[in-house]
Amino acid sequence: MTLISGIIFLPVVLNGVLLVHLLWPFGSLNSFALKVSLGIGLGLGLASILHFISLEFNPFSVNIFYLELILLVILFSIVLRQSKQTATLRINSGSITPLQWFFLILFFLGITVSVVVFARNIFSRPQGVLDAWSIWNRAARFIHRDPENWRATLSPDLALFRHADYPLMIPLNVAWGWDTLGNESLRVPMVQSLLFTFGTIFVMFGSLLMTRSIGQASLASLMLIAFSGIVVNGTYLISDVPTTYFVLASGVLLYLFVLRKEYGLLTLYGAMSGLAGWTKNEGLLFILVSPIGFFLAAQGTLKKSFLYYLAGIATPLILLLYFKTLTPPNDLMIGIGSTLSEKLLDPSRYEMIIKSFWGDFTRREAIFLAIYSVILFDRKNINFKNGHLAVLALLLFQLAGYGAIYVITPNDLEWHLRTSQYRLFMQIIPLAIFLALNLSTNLENIFAKRSALQTSTEGSEDKHE
Amino acid sequence: MLLVREEIPISRGVVGYISEENVSGAEYAYWDNETEFLLSQYELAPLILKKGLAAEWNLVILSDLDLQTWMKENPGQYEITHIKSNIYVLQNLGAK
Repeated sequence: MTLISGIIFLPVVLNGVLLVHLLWPFGSLNSFALKVSLGIGLGLGLASILHFISLEFNPFSVNIFYLELILLVILFSIVLRQSKQTATLRINSGSITPLQWFFLILFFLGITVSVVVFARNIFSRPQGVLDAWSIWNRAARFIHRDPENWRATLSPDLALFRHADYPLMIPLNVAWGWDTLGNESLRVPMVQSLLFTFGTIFVMFGSLLMTRSIGQASLASLMLIAFSGIVVNGTYLISDVPTTYFVLASGVLLYLFVLRKEYGLLTLYGAMSGLAGWTKNEGLLFILVSPIGFFLAAQGTLKKSFLYYLAGIATPLILLLYFKTLTPPNDLMIGIGSTLSEKLLDPSRYEMIIKSFWGDFTRREAIFLAIYSVILFDRKNINFKNGHLAVLALLLFQLAGYGAIYVITPNDLEWHLRTSQYRLFMQIIPLAIFLALNLSTNLENIFAKRSALQTSTEGSEDKHE
Repeated sequence: MLLVREEIPISRGVVGYISEENVSGAEYAYWDNETEFLLSQYELAPLILKKGLAAEWNLVILSDLDLQTWMKENPGQYEITHIKSNIYVLQNLGAK
């Protein structure tokens, strides 16, 4: 069943990869890992949107799996036609040094350990954590079991903390997966979670492989695995890892746009930002933040760039606006009411939030990352200042948004921080790692400098002798 | 829950959920009660579970004693079917 559940997602991922390639036809072999990992999110996002549209128009008429197969044939023929016209595959991998082989081996060891941890955790708790079955798979059951009446999953009669208003990307994919298999196999949410978890790691690896080096890509991916808790969180079968994926993918695409000035990257940035909002409510905040990053990255070409950005974000945004007209209000909005000004003017709330955030800023991993990027700051890389600023702005404004939500939350603030802050921070940690490793010197250079230093020391010792 | 589904003749809409939370003086652990409610919702989807005597058809998870207490506190015309251990389906005839 695991294999079949994997197979049903194959055309979805391939469609995503082909779409990424169409929008960003860059042909270097270095971009392969990144394109495949970006294709995972784009493909799953597209499949969920198609399922949503089919539910709205005619719940029984469309089988998403077959639709994806048809789409695959169409996209493949377009890509084939395009590649005949511009046969541009450039294999510029060059020679990999022994040191880089060592880093690659470390990376694959990290991946192997992660796969084992993921498998152990997910099979020991196949239903995931409480939120997995009470929110996400509960919604998937509503859609799968009664597609004609799928809107029941948005009923205000559902328990308040079961979040009937949450976006439906994850449940929609599970629901069409179950439709295809003809049963409610837990392997479907498991495979989706596996794709997002390892997709995030490979977005990190693939992006730094393009912007920096093999050593830097391997180190960043290992830091992501070790620091963020993404692998274990992925086994919870909730939407935080997919949100993390879309936030990281968006930041990476924005940074690449500054580096390469290829406008298709902006369309992908818009699409990924929009899909973050289609995944979880924190992603809605990211949609509000994404124009700030865009504005900083597209300096000088704002008019032209905006059209490309709009082309990417428009579909998920329109869909979300429509979706939000169907849902009951969010639990955070219900309780705000008359106490809003009181909360905004209460300094103790700010103090508690800053203290709580500070706790995460002063974690060993965060201090290590900060010191690492300061000590090993790469001055040569300053050319991409706008890229760094844009990514930094995404991080800071998203963080400020989290803070603002905590200020106005109608829930007990201490409880709210304790139960959600670590998940929110997990959503932005990978992008912070990406930025830090782009700011610092390549790992290869550090070792090269060290060995050069050793050689010169040995040389001077020889002279003394 | 399969037996509960068979007993409830509707496949859409709201079903009430009565538990210790609705019985004054009943002793219960909050999270045990909440988890039972959420698990029942997960099993009975796409029926919508709503706490309290919220519809014609209601799922009751109570001991005999607590059920008697609840009946005294909420007099009405009910048809109660025992499913298994402390699980009942209650039809509120007054809400027909």
